[in-house]
Amino acid sequence: MSQRTRTTKTLAKRIDLQYFARPHPFRRWRLWLSVGVPLIALGWVVGQRAEGGQKAYSSGPLAHSHAVFTQQCGLCHVARTGAFFAHVSDQACLTCHDAPVHQPEQTFTPQCSSCHVEHQGAIRLAATSDASCMQCHANLRTRDGQPHYAASIGGFDRQHPEFSVLAPGRTDPGRIKLNHYVHLQPNLMGPNNTRVEMSCDDCHRATGSGETWPYASTELHSAALKLTSQDLNQRGSKAPMVPPAFAWHCAACHTLQFDNRFGNAQVPHDKPEVVHAFLIKQFGEYIAAHPAAVHEVEASNRELPERARIPRVARNASEWVEFRVEDAEHLLWLKTCKQCHTLNFTGGPLPEVAKSSITARWLPHAEFDHQAHRAMACTACHTRAPNSRDTADILVPSIQICQQCHREQGPMKESAEGRCFECHQYHDWSKAKRTKGRFSIPELRGTARLRMPKN
Amino acid sequence: MLIDQTHRKWFLGSVVGLALATVVYVPYSLNSPQGPKGSSVLGLIYGSVGFAFMLFAGLLGLRKKFPVWRVGRAQTWMRGHLWLGLVSFPLILFHGGFHFGTQLTRVLMWLFVFVFASGLLGAALQHFIPRIHTAQLPMETIYEQIDRVRGQLAQEATRLVDQCCATLEGEVSGASERQRAVAASAGANWDVTVASGLQADEPTSNELRQFLLTEMLPYLEKAGPRGVRLGTAAQAQAMFRHLRVLLPPNLHSQVDDLENICLEKRQLDKQNRLHRILHGWLLVHIPLSYAVLLLGAWHAVVAIRF
Repeated sequence: MSQRTRTTKTLAKRIDLQYFARPHPFRRWRLWLSVGVPLIALGWVVGQRAEGGQKAYSSGPLAHSHAVFTQQCGLCHVARTGAFFAHVSDQACLTCHDAPVHQPEQTFTPQCSSCHVEHQGAIRLAATSDASCMQCHANLRTRDGQPHYAASIGGFDRQHPEFSVLAPGRTDPGRIKLNHYVHLQPNLMGPNNTRVEMSCDDCHRATGSGETWPYASTELHSAALKLTSQDLNQRGSKAPMVPPAFAWHCAACHTLQFDNRFGNAQVPHDKPEVVHAFLIKQFGEYIAAHPAAVHEVEASNRELPERARIPRVARNASEWVEFRVEDAEHLLWLKTCKQCHTLNFTGGPLPEVAKSSITARWLPHAEFDHQAHRAMACTACHTRAPNSRDTADILVPSIQICQQCHREQGPMKESAEGRCFECHQYHDWSKAKRTKGRFSIPELRGTARLRMPKN
Repeated sequence: MLIDQTHRKWFLGSVVGLALATVVYVPYSLNSPQGPKGSSVLGLIYGSVGFAFMLFAGLLGLRKKFPVWRVGRAQTWMRGHLWLGLVSFPLILFHGGFHFGTQLTRVLMWLFVFVFASGLLGAALQHFIPRIHTAQLPMETIYEQIDRVRGQLAQEATRLVDQCCATLEGEVSGASERQRAVAASAGANWDVTVASGLQADEPTSNELRQFLLTEMLPYLEKAGPRGVRLGTAAQAQAMFRHLRVLLPPNLHSQVDDLENICLEKRQLDKQNRLHRILHGWLLVHIPLSYAVLLLGAWHAVVAIRF
């Protein structure tokens, strides 16, 4: 049995009563670390500052387009002289991007940075969140109190109206008589009396595809090529479809012969005045070369609509030209041209051809990229096209077809992008003004001090 | 610090505060055009409140330095440190929208994660380890005095062994009545010497000294049980059992004392170990806390500027 005694007194005698006044390794370590670690942290901050950049304070990497300016915070964070704050103002953005206003009737203009949020990493700054748009479009108000668009939109697959072109009662304003059903039939009469079966992309392709058109004219007339380069290039990043044009899409099958004497020669696909002049010239040259033809009796074997077959004998060359031009125009106006065009005979010598009014952009406030949808068959979306017999049919797909793939959550939900920016642009860049650059490369890269504007 | 019923008010307050912050955060997060951001009004409120809680938690150190200050009970400060510090972490996460940002904010957030995690660990250790102390270490002493007490134990063991050896080497003062009587009769009986009368046993004495020098003193003088047989209770018991067989019964009480000394040493070693666990996390928690407060304040200045 142990004889050791552990009374309070004996235990107390063991203790050095001044122990707390002497340093102990544990407390010493705690003190040194408590001083050292914050000092290291402070040193890191000072070191970063001494390196010249303020990158350490960045709340995140810049977007692709701005990443090159990462070291030059002052480019966007403009601090006025003597001021402490250096928030990003719209003015800083407008220095490089003269972004036009969205709508003159808008009651609220958000700050650039509220929609285009920087320091979010390598994102596309134009890919704004739907909530930015919903600020106004969830409950749209305008200065004149008359919203011209849907007043309440909640997102693409929640509360987005049907495309306005598909509103009840709307028809295709085009005046070219086109029967899609017929054109998509097999065994169609094609160029040079061959049999063909047409497909959608024989006539409908995105601009810039660079391929030849299978039914284009072999001799493209310059007038036909006035094809609206302006139309083709508008909002060019998302290639629109090439608007149908006779020279490119019709000419091979719909030939414009006007008289057997000239073989396969065709009149230009142009205004009646041009066609008329062309005919006079052609027949004038012919009779000059064949003066005996004046007295030949015209044995017409052509089916001229709405005209009796009365052979006419000219008394002289000019009368002969007049008769032949009249015959040719009768064929053209009442058969060849009329097959596709609406001609108005308003009493003048020549008819007026109604404007074709082909709609180049069916969704004027949205963009659609056919090229991005190339994996799909045309009729997967344009479901009504194969059976459309009437020019007035609008063949734009319904929004429900788009919603089968496009969802607001987009790739997060194994869907295609469905946020507003995918189809709509906030700024009307066609109204953008040119900005004047004023920075040097070292200034932009942050290797030189930024010169502040004098104003 | 024991987390018990007395923390109920703090616990409920923290839960209610956190629930309120969460209820506000969810719609704010869902409806923010570009997601929750520290620079939004609500983001700034979360950041400010969270940083204020962190500051309060950090002031505990100052409060401890000046215990005589009349600024509330130390226990209240400790509870405030624990619960407000706990709530400050989710508030700061709400502030940043659960993003760590880059560079300064990322460093700051990771430091804060370590501070928070070490704080949680510390709270758990402070809750459980004192119970182990009470139950398993009846011979504990003041931590800073362990080295000193260990020296005293070595002296005590040396003294005890000296006593035993003196007895074994025939010192009369160490003999029993009967041994003294036998020793006194030395010379009367031709085969009895004084030494044999006192049952002197020099080899055993040497062995005991050897045990002191090679086993006990190295164990007692050094901290920890590493590499020493006496550091293990079972081995120590076996060694002392052997000593008891070796020594006469009248010295067994000294052997018991020596064993008790070793037991105390083992408890001091364990106390040392537990103390390091109990307070070692502070070597991470406190320095990193100061760094977080420093960088947090700098982050606030920079964020307000830009």
